[in-house]
Amino acid sequence: MYRYLKSSRVVISLLIMFAITLNFLYFANRETTFFSFFLKIQFVPALLGAFTGSAIILIFLIVLTLLFGRAYCSTLCPLGTLQDLITRGANLLKSKKSRRFSLSAPKNLLRYFFLALAIIPLFFGITAALAYLDPYSNFGRISSELIGRSEQLIQNLLSLLMPDSVFFRTYSTFVLGSFLFAASFLALVIVMSSLWGRLYCNTICPVGTFLGLLSRFAMFKPQINSQSCNHCMLCVQNCKSGCIDAVKGKIDESRCVACLNCMIKCNKGAISYCNTWKKSKRTETDLNEGKGKLESRQRREALLAMGLMGTLLASRALNFPTKLSAEPRITGIAPPGAGSTDKLKKSCTSCHACISACPNGIIKPATTQYGLEGILMPVLSFERHFCAYECNICSQVCPTGALTPLTLEEKQLTQIGKASFRLKKCIVYKDKTDCGACDEHCPTKAINMIPYRDTGLFIPKLNKDICIGCGGCEYVCPAAPKAITVSANDVHVTATKPTVEKQEKVKVNEFGF
Amino acid sequence: MERRNFLKAALLGSIAGAIQLKPEKIFAAESSSAKGKNDLVAVMGGDPVTMYNKGMAAMGGISRFVKKGQKVVVKPNIGWDKKPELAANTNPQLVAAIVADCLKAGASEVVVFDHTCDEWQACYKNSGIEAAAKAAGAKMAFAHDEKYYKEVNLPKGLRLKSAKIHENIIDCDVWINVPVLKNHGGAKMTIAMKNYMGIVWDRGFWHSNDLQQCIADCATYSKKPVVNIVDAYRIMTQNGPKGKTIDDVVEAKALFISTDIVAADTAALKFFNQFREMKMESVSHIGKAENLNVGTTNLESIKVERIKI
Repeated sequence: MYRYLKSSRVVISLLIMFAITLNFLYFANRETTFFSFFLKIQFVPALLGAFTGSAIILIFLIVLTLLFGRAYCSTLCPLGTLQDLITRGANLLKSKKSRRFSLSAPKNLLRYFFLALAIIPLFFGITAALAYLDPYSNFGRISSELIGRSEQLIQNLLSLLMPDSVFFRTYSTFVLGSFLFAASFLALVIVMSSLWGRLYCNTICPVGTFLGLLSRFAMFKPQINSQSCNHCMLCVQNCKSGCIDAVKGKIDESRCVACLNCMIKCNKGAISYCNTWKKSKRTETDLNEGKGKLESRQRREALLAMGLMGTLLASRALNFPTKLSAEPRITGIAPPGAGSTDKLKKSCTSCHACISACPNGIIKPATTQYGLEGILMPVLSFERHFCAYECNICSQVCPTGALTPLTLEEKQLTQIGKASFRLKKCIVYKDKTDCGACDEHCPTKAINMIPYRDTGLFIPKLNKDICIGCGGCEYVCPAAPKAITVSANDVHVTATKPTVEKQEKVKVNEFGF
Repeated sequence: MERRNFLKAALLGSIAGAIQLKPEKIFAAESSSAKGKNDLVAVMGGDPVTMYNKGMAAMGGISRFVKKGQKVVVKPNIGWDKKPELAANTNPQLVAAIVADCLKAGASEVVVFDHTCDEWQACYKNSGIEAAAKAAGAKMAFAHDEKYYKEVNLPKGLRLKSAKIHENIIDCDVWINVPVLKNHGGAKMTIAMKNYMGIVWDRGFWHSNDLQQCIADCATYSKKPVVNIVDAYRIMTQNGPKGKTIDDVVEAKALFISTDIVAADTAALKFFNQFREMKMESVSHIGKAENLNVGTTNLESIKVERIKI
């Protein structure tokens, strides 16, 4: 039975990792947002999005853990699957002997440190630490920065071979810092998983640590039947979490990722899932004092972490508005649906799903635009293109609710920034020639060309109330420096509806010449 | 055939072959200014396809412009991510009819493209042009990256001395210019000459170097469209060239076909003026192009036929 369970686990985990990767790839995310569903079943997105529609998923993930321990870590987490693949790959290069895992002590101090590091800033509306540690978000950045860019490179090579059928994909904005972050994270994971299996998951990963605490209460836990165990150590050698103590006959469920390897490797069938809720009542009296102390300490830790998480959820529900630092100067324009820079910072984990989804390639990872705590978060850049009026895709794919899904109508009235016009830089003023590039691109006609003195020329006139900050004008303005630029709205507002100019019906029966 | 004539023909043929002259190039001068044929045909009152069929027949049929085996480019305006009803782009049915007609005339290949303003895939798709053109047998070409453009000199240009022009225009045998008639905030009007902005890469240069003159300058490019077909089935009379709503659009049901690009723009502008005033002097690229001998604004001086359906 465990063999069967394990193969299903492997199949499901590969499918989910594949689907999540596809969400970040151009050829797959142009036509459908189907794959973005798989981002929403990730733990951190579900936690942060608990009040924006992901509550059911969060409950599902918690119930799953309370039933089977950290099944999430080896089934739903794409970074977990990636690490398993790397471990397997590395095994090909290793001698049989060095492939073996061994029991390791839990690095409690480190893992609780990382958990606290990830959670505590959330109370102050800062997701940065969680963003850099969260396995899903890191997987997203690896997909976007490394796999996505490789895809682009391959496509562009193909476009040289088949210029008629494969188009050249213009390189979008490249942020070196973000690329290096993703690359070094991948390097870290490669080293850790090829040498020590799931060490990342059991030391650094805040999700792993939290689910580990939760799994102390799990209904079904893997247990060693001391009667049938002959201490052959096969289970220990195959445990990528290093959490089986065969000598004492104990499995540390807080580090067990429910990969089921031990169960299928054991020749004696000595390891199996047991319902511990039933048994605990009977064995409680059997516990010796030392063991009892240990158990109660672990339970205290677990309760503490869950209390913290509960408080976090409560504070988010109440929209607890603490800000840690003095307001930095916000220069970054947040994607539509963000609502405000603060809301973005409160829920975004920089997974870069929006960046990969933007058909115009105008969303890039922030450097300093949002201040220190906003590094790597999505920010708009109108250097290469502008925000398409008929598009709301970024808000649709965001799994954490940092970008609230907007309908097209809502998006077309969401003012993310405001244009400002500097007459003295304008071509019409400087060169006394027609231009109107900004007016041409303005989707709401916040810009209108009006007669300019008696020159016969027309000059832009800007109505900021109608402007939605799409950046069409800024992108296309041919003046250097630009005569029209968009500055960020720290809090997004609803723009005034564009006016509608009805025209008289003219009956025309002649050609006019 | 006499031995002498045969040898002459063989010799000439091989010389022509060696320098890669195609017969249509030798006789090009003759076909484009065919005596007795219409220079401009204006049609009104029908659907886009009917107007095209009648108009093109009055021009002497597509075979006047497209010869067997030629590679043809049909260049509509696909600048915006807008539906056909909003008239921001050329009518897709018209594009399809032209494509089908070219293929019927024996064109070896018909290519359709535009250097769009909005994101190109959305424009190609939502304008309805990609689907219509492909269904008619055309190939859509990519035009969204500088890679697809090549530098061309414009010795007659005053401000625009050279431009990066799309490789398909450079490589084709003939190209057909199929703009849509629209109001335009910058250039005042966008018709046939303004449609050249979709065959070049760096439009920003035009905007910052006397837009009206650059439009006229680009029209001096030696490889002129064999015919200009101005779609005025639906026209955007205000808030152009992108437009906001259906209120910016009038169903005018007209079509203008001309071998003379300046005449085509003049005729279309005069037609437009019946809906909304726009002075010829304001659309100054038309006059500037005439000064550069690109064509004529004097519709009296050319052979015009008017067809009402």
